[in-house]
Amino acid sequence: MIASYFPILLFLAVATGLGIALMSLGLLFGTRKTNDEKISAYECGFEAFDDAHMKFDVRFYLVAILFIIFDLEIAFLFPWSVVLEELGGFGLVSMFIFLFLLVIGFIYEWKKGALEWE
Amino acid sequence: MIISPELFQQIIFYVFATFTIGSAMAVVTVKNTIYSALFLVLCFFNTAVLWLLIEAEFLAITLVLVYVGAVMVLFLFVVMMLDVKQAKASQLKQSYTKAALLIAAAMLVQLLILFAYKLSGEIPSNELVRQEQGYSNVAEVGMTLFTQYVYPFEIAAVILLVAIVAAIMLTMRKREGNKQMDASKQININPAERLRVVSMKAEKATTQAQSKEEES
Amino acid sequence: MFGWSELVPAFPEILVLSMACVVLLVGLFTDKKKGGFIVFLSVITMMFAAILTLKDHVAGVEFTKTVIFNGTFIRDEFGDMLKVVVYLLMISVFFYAKQYLRQHDNLQGEYFALLLFATLGIMVMISGHNFIALYLGLELLALSSYALVAYNRNDLNGNEAAMKYFILGALASGMLLYGMSLIYGAVGTLQINEISQAIAGQNNDMFLVLGLIFVIVGIGFKLGAAPFHMWVPDVYEGAPTATTLFIASAPKIAAFALAVRILGQSLDVLMIHWQSMLATLAIVSIIVGNLFALQQTNLKRLFAYSTISHIGFMLLGLVGGAEGIAASMFYIIVYTIMAVGGFGMIVLLSNKGMEADQIADFKGLNQRSGWYAFLMLLLVASMAGFPPLIGFFSKLYVLKAVIDQGHIILAAVAVIFAVIGAFYYLKIIKVMYFEESETDQAIDASFDVKTVLSINALAQLGLLVLLPVLFQYCIRVTGSL
Repeated sequence: MIASYFPILLFLAVATGLGIALMSLGLLFGTRKTNDEKISAYECGFEAFDDAHMKFDVRFYLVAILFIIFDLEIAFLFPWSVVLEELGGFGLVSMFIFLFLLVIGFIYEWKKGALEWE
Repeated sequence: MIISPELFQQIIFYVFATFTIGSAMAVVTVKNTIYSALFLVLCFFNTAVLWLLIEAEFLAITLVLVYVGAVMVLFLFVVMMLDVKQAKASQLKQSYTKAALLIAAAMLVQLLILFAYKLSGEIPSNELVRQEQGYSNVAEVGMTLFTQYVYPFEIAAVILLVAIVAAIMLTMRKREGNKQMDASKQININPAERLRVVSMKAEKATTQAQSKEEES
Repeated sequence: MFGWSELVPAFPEILVLSMACVVLLVGLFTDKKKGGFIVFLSVITMMFAAILTLKDHVAGVEFTKTVIFNGTFIRDEFGDMLKVVVYLLMISVFFYAKQYLRQHDNLQGEYFALLLFATLGIMVMISGHNFIALYLGLELLALSSYALVAYNRNDLNGNEAAMKYFILGALASGMLLYGMSLIYGAVGTLQINEISQAIAGQNNDMFLVLGLIFVIVGIGFKLGAAPFHMWVPDVYEGAPTATTLFIASAPKIAAFALAVRILGQSLDVLMIHWQSMLATLAIVSIIVGNLFALQQTNLKRLFAYSTISHIGFMLLGLVGGAEGIAASMFYIIVYTIMAVGGFGMIVLLSNKGMEADQIADFKGLNQRSGWYAFLMLLLVASMAGFPPLIGFFSKLYVLKAVIDQGHIILAAVAVIFAVIGAFYYLKIIKVMYFEESETDQAIDASFDVKTVLSINALAQLGLLVLLPVLFQYCIRVTGSL
């Protein structure tokens, strides 16, 4: 059973190995002659005023929360789709009700303008 | 030399368990909060592999799908929104360290108790029940969820709906003085509402004429 | 497998759910200034839900317990009686909320939709026959309540209260869930009735008692019983009064149902264990609630501490055996009616921009309006337990049940602190009748709100007529569990 995941393991191993290999090749053979001026941040010719990190707009937060909610819905859809054939009409209806409730949430979201980027 | 499947699984377990612990340590020791959030992602991935090893596939998938996919995104957003400067070790309050040590000690004691139980044989033996080829944990969860627990499942939908409403109600703000364009409003505009054409009678240029006369 | 006729016993729930969605959508298209239609829809929903619930209880037809949805949902007399009380409470909550939100120009559809969702959560809890269903009902109620507490977004106190409520509530949910999972680990089932049978057949006590402790801590948090009461005063004070009066009423009934379903029905075999824990919680609550209430000048805080002591009395009833559970049910029903009325009075006296939540705001109420002073007198005296009001009898029944079980010391302590508690209720009455009013502002409320409030307060006298019948019902429905 667990053996069927072997290709994924292989994939993981190759991906990790390749990633590490390529980066270390660069480290090994690349020429690096740095000085202070070279590695300092460049901002139109004068000294950097402050950190290059910028605060994210708080509006992303609402988007992320709404994304989580709809992502959780996917977590329910996933096992449902696997067994839908065995469940038959009953499964279809129960998921229909579930999605219907979330669609109401979606209408609310839309109408309130939560999806708009002012 | 051929490695037996059991040994192979054990090797995989120890490799990924090491990564899990390592990345978990990194989460709390790394100074940059964004790195620490990314290490948490790595930790979740490794945990997902460990869960796969005990054939809890649905949990593994959910961990990647929900936690890595959504919750960690929210974490990163929050970290970036708050603009946390790199914390210095001295800034961490001493009391937190003490509390953390206390919790860690409590967990260690729990683990030791568990080991003691295990050694004394009070916990029934440890062999995992291995399922046959073609067994699907996800299908099993699906069958239980959509037959036995269909009522709680629908309540879960209502809870999600309430979460949507609450999140929007509490965080949505209409900004004042917003000059955003609304295409549908622009198209639907009726010239009659905007512009009023007033018909006026023509008037004689009396005042000008009078002033000219006065000058002369 | 599943027949669609299985849905019939759950019609009240389905109705409330559909109407909550309708109210949510209607609210989107309604102007903030109006919104009377939303209130109308909500009230109508409760009335029809009451009809749907009561239609199976017509005289002459035998009512049978039905368990549906693979045993996760139960429709029994106990649940139906509590649900009808919840509908009535919610109707008055809707009217008071309308008055309050109108005062603040903030009447939106979401508020009533969330109240309806919370009602659904309460109904799910009352009808829960499986730990998962009970827990999800609780979460639905809790999530709606957090949002309702934070409703005034610009009010810092409200935000702080919501934050405290959310964190402690999440902690309590975690405790409850952990306890449930321990019990599940010990017995291997989540069904209420099966757990009871499974426990009787085994003696793996350690996990069960550990689970029981966590469950009781969780329930204690949700009820706001001391020593888990820290959130109660802050949340009551910080929340908008309309939300406070909701939190103080219907959810208490749900928490009572939760306690009875989990402790009384599924863990009945462990009664010796949980009785002593509940007795401790009860006595500590009565002492803490009454002593701290003495020092309050804010009426919402005062009512919060008085809630703690009333919850103590309710828990005390659960210690008193079968009759005690009936007494406790009677107590919680009576208490929620008083609480809704008391907070309704604060809403009534508030104006735009001014909340009448200080005791001083009730100064000389008798001069401003004799009628409302009289109504407040009834409510407060009933809370204090002065005879011959209904609050006196509810205390009496609880004490009688406890004494019958031989816990005379418990009863004595409860009585002493109830008498001490009477002092702060008297303070309110004194302020209303014997002090000079500082304003002569007329009391401004619409006719329906005044009517509901009057009915609510007069129920303290009116229910006396129904007293024996009501108590008999309580005994019958708790006996049929």
